[in-house]
Amino acid sequence: MSGKTILYVEDNEFNRKIVRDLLARTTYRLIEAFDGEEGVTRALAERPDLILMDIQLPKMSGIDATRRLRAEPSTAATPIIVITSFALSGDDQKARDAGATGYMAKPYSPRDLLQQIRTLLPEA
Amino acid sequence: MTDAAPVAGSPFGGFLLRRTPLGRLVTQVARLRASVHQKLLAAFLLITLLFIVMGTLSLQSLAQISRQNVLMHEAHERVDWSLQAEKTFALQMNFTAMALLRRDEASIEHILRENNRFSETLSQIEQAAPPEERGIIQRIRAAQDRAVDTVADIANLVRDDRIDAARVLQLQTQYPLYQEIQGLIDQVVAAERARMDALRLAMESENRHAARSLALRGFGAVLLAVLLGFVISWSFILPVRQAHDFLGQVAKGDFSGRMTVPNRDEFGELAARMNQMSAELARLYEHQRQSAAELQALNHKLEAASRAKSEFLANMSHELRTPMNAILGFLEMMLDEIYGDVPEHFKEPLRDVQTNGKHLLRLINDVLDLSKIEAGRMELSLAEYSPRDVVDTVRASLQSLAAEKGLEFATSVAADVPAALGDGKRITQCVMNLAGNALKFTKDGRVDILVERDGESLIYRVRDTGLGIPQAQLGHIFEEFRQVDATITREYGGTGLGLTITKTFVEMHGGRIWVESEPGRGSTFSFSVPLRVREGQP
Repeated sequence: MSGKTILYVEDNEFNRKIVRDLLARTTYRLIEAFDGEEGVTRALAERPDLILMDIQLPKMSGIDATRRLRAEPSTAATPIIVITSFALSGDDQKARDAGATGYMAKPYSPRDLLQQIRTLLPEA
Repeated sequence: MTDAAPVAGSPFGGFLLRRTPLGRLVTQVARLRASVHQKLLAAFLLITLLFIVMGTLSLQSLAQISRQNVLMHEAHERVDWSLQAEKTFALQMNFTAMALLRRDEASIEHILRENNRFSETLSQIEQAAPPEERGIIQRIRAAQDRAVDTVADIANLVRDDRIDAARVLQLQTQYPLYQEIQGLIDQVVAAERARMDALRLAMESENRHAARSLALRGFGAVLLAVLLGFVISWSFILPVRQAHDFLGQVAKGDFSGRMTVPNRDEFGELAARMNQMSAELARLYEHQRQSAAELQALNHKLEAASRAKSEFLANMSHELRTPMNAILGFLEMMLDEIYGDVPEHFKEPLRDVQTNGKHLLRLINDVLDLSKIEAGRMELSLAEYSPRDVVDTVRASLQSLAAEKGLEFATSVAADVPAALGDGKRITQCVMNLAGNALKFTKDGRVDILVERDGESLIYRVRDTGLGIPQAQLGHIFEEFRQVDATITREYGGTGLGLTITKTFVEMHGGRIWVESEPGRGSTFSFSVPLRVREGQP
């Protein structure tokens, strides 16, 4: 498998499983992180082609992690999709301000998520 | 009482009050158990009395002077009479000489007439004369009696033409008598003059004395009046000034002071009342301060509770949506056959689960929105948005529902509708709610979404050919948990919160919402919002 790598930063096992199952039948390679700090560390270490970032995370929020990654030269241009819990509370604006490329409001449709991933990062 | 403060501004008065017994006197007058009215009356009566005494004394002096004037006048009169007597006697002598020369009855008549006048004058003198002069006057009268006899003799001698004998008698008897009488009268005059001099001296000294004592008494009276005025006025001024300062303190919110006046009159009562007032104010102030502190504490608690509630809401939102995300996500992937083929007879129940899951999600969202609205935490995020995008989003979301029910579902945005400023998501939510309801309550026919411009406002309309709303229900259709009746809730689902939330969002934009409906023929829900909502406008 020489597919493109996607990093998913999410603390909830079921949500991770959804994305894991969703991408299982694609060529994308999925790596996972459980909190904001680990997300930043893995992103910097493994240079994924796209990052899915949950907004509410232990240790460091998705917004802060996104901001950190945008500040790093190696990940400054990596597409980041922020997944917000509060679609209607201005989190999307916060995500954009932090440098997110796109966002999905939870609960999202896996179909839509896959479509957005494919738009930002075409399968090889 | 003689504190420095109340006499500030009256250096002289202050000096007198502090350095002289006047201060003590003022205190004592203040302590008198009498009303202000009585004190003032007493003071005025006292001053009036002083002036009456002064007047009486002056009148006495005047009476004394007038008495002395009478004495003086009497002495003058006596001197006049004496001189007159002397003159009369001289005329008598003169006429005697005339009689001797002319030897006629007319001259003799003159002598007798002058003689009578002399006797009358002498009687007047005698009546008016003081006792010590009576002796001399009797001697004069004796001389006069003899002179009368002599004159009578001379007259007889003249009638008998014995002129020589008459002349002898005149020279030897009448002339010495004249000299004697003249001497005696001179004595009387001298005595009267001496008396007059003494009287004049006495009067002068007495006048001087009277003037001096009058001046002294006058000065004393004025001093006493001023003193009285000073004492009585300061016994009133001091409490008034103290009250002034005291009220000044109270007005500044300092209730620690107390009025301490020695007055037992109305000022004393006033001071007691003011102390009462101050104490009551202090009590109220303290009470108010405590209440404010309690309120503040309560306010802090309420704020904390409100914050806790908001946090709870935020957490709930996350906690509720996370499992919903998993449920709906897995369902969708199952139905998309990501886990492999789904047997046909599983598909329908899976879709039912999905429909109910989505409905549950909407309920959760509505309840959370309403909680936020009620907590006052709902805020608009204003930005440019396109009304066309709003309508497109709604159509995209609801098209499948309309298709399922076999309803015509059309949207139309007037050509002159520009980009707008507002919270596009909330507006979308509003249109979504109205359109969702319309589709829900319409069995056949159509649902239309229309957007038009009306001056500086945008009007969104959702028109359906559904059940319609009875006239009686139109009034409270926008209240919470309202649906036309409970059966509808069971039949069509929904929380009854959608319209309330929609109305709130419209009003937050500074707009309004209304409905026109005819039961059985359909309803049109409309709302208007400003084309460009200004920050903080609603």
